[in-house]
Amino acid sequence: MANYSTSQFKNGLKLMLDGNPCSIISNEIRKPGKGQASNKVKFKDLITGKTLEKTFKSGESLEGADVMELDMQYLYNDGSEWNFMDPETFDQYVINDDAMDDVRGYMVEQDMCIVTLWNDNPISVTPPNHVTLEVIETDPGLKGDTAGTGGKPATMNTGIVVQVPLFISIGEKVKVDTRTNEYAGRT
Amino acid sequence: MSMRDALKRRADFLALIRRFFLDQGVVEVQTPKLLKHPTTDVYIDSISCKANQDIDLTQEFFLHTSPELEMKKLLSKGSGDIYQVCSVFRDNEQGKQNTNEFTLLEYYRLGFDHHQLMDDVACLLHKLGVKAAVKKISYAQAFLQFADIDILNTDFSDLKKIAQSRGITSDFEYLEDLQIFLFTDLVEPALKQISACFIYDYPACQSALAKVAGDVAHRFELYINGVEIANGYDELQQAKDYQNCFMREINKRHALGKFSMEIDQGFLSALQPPIPQCSGVAIGIERLLSQI
Repeated sequence: MANYSTSQFKNGLKLMLDGNPCSIISNEIRKPGKGQASNKVKFKDLITGKTLEKTFKSGESLEGADVMELDMQYLYNDGSEWNFMDPETFDQYVINDDAMDDVRGYMVEQDMCIVTLWNDNPISVTPPNHVTLEVIETDPGLKGDTAGTGGKPATMNTGIVVQVPLFISIGEKVKVDTRTNEYAGRT
Repeated sequence: MSMRDALKRRADFLALIRRFFLDQGVVEVQTPKLLKHPTTDVYIDSISCKANQDIDLTQEFFLHTSPELEMKKLLSKGSGDIYQVCSVFRDNEQGKQNTNEFTLLEYYRLGFDHHQLMDDVACLLHKLGVKAAVKKISYAQAFLQFADIDILNTDFSDLKKIAQSRGITSDFEYLEDLQIFLFTDLVEPALKQISACFIYDYPACQSALAKVAGDVAHRFELYINGVEIANGYDELQQAKDYQNCFMREINKRHALGKFSMEIDQGFLSALQPPIPQCSGVAIGIERLLSQI
């Protein structure tokens, strides 16, 4: 991969930092009146998901990371591995269960997800912003209740717990925002 | 804020500055901005331009990066206390806090040392609407308090080790560059918590054009909400001191592979008699306005 100098840094650029592929979140140039400029850079580590901050001397360079984001369809989970397919090439990709920690509860078969590949290996999955899940357990619904008066926890068919309005009952399908884990309406 | 309100705010701000100096008998001056010599400052680049090409008298000029040297010529000729508000131009500066052109307020007070000048700047800030008291923290104290480093007693190789142990790049060829980098990375974020403060008595290797006493240079910077606003010195007076300083900077520029220039002999010979004892400061107007 090519090297990128600080002057080429921009949001979204994928670089190698301490052995892990990272994506630039923000890049702030600092130029003291009497000193050399530096770049204060915020990164997201694409493997651990953690945010890092590091300051570089202007002119320093980092190796680019061979990272691609592809739209893929989630096919099925066989217990330890998650299977995806590139709908254009029909290539199938397998992701280990441990890379799915943050998103496991939002995976719905046939949904289109963004799969991030590093050196052609899938490292993370971003589900759609909204997914439709089925309530499998919650306290009985209250008649006449409307949204916005508190709520109750409900367990979804994927195992996650989402706060839902009181009128939602078992067996109903609800929309969930995958970025905030919030209830986003009935379907 | 509407366009009109923004313009009015800036104009009122400049009027207050002029009132402050008028009341103290400090005289406003204008000095040349189109210069024959670029600045020697290692990390400030002059913007060059050509003039008189169509009349076959092509000359290369440099836009001033600060009115400092031209004002010092006036000081050595007996100007007394002077100030100037002007645009300055610097190449290779881009970013949230940096642009190629900005406005500087530069002023000099005869007989002041850097502490008296800090007090004077604090008075000006209060007139301009800074309500909080302006703290004073020495450079060494700031490094100790916010970065746990004894900066004046740590040599280059030990400072590199400290940087490495904290996962910070230590790839520097000059002690002062590593000090400045660590200050930006470790100390400046902590200064955001302090509404206004002076950092004073910089390590001697960062003296620039300030007098050195022992291991510190009588230099200060002003930070408001962690943003660098001003830089002041107890000024060097003698031509030979300026010559040494320019030579050092030119040699460093050369070593770093940057554009290096001839020394401005005209400036050195203008310092006859020498500059009277004085302290001077440069204040970034747009940055100050943005932090008040």
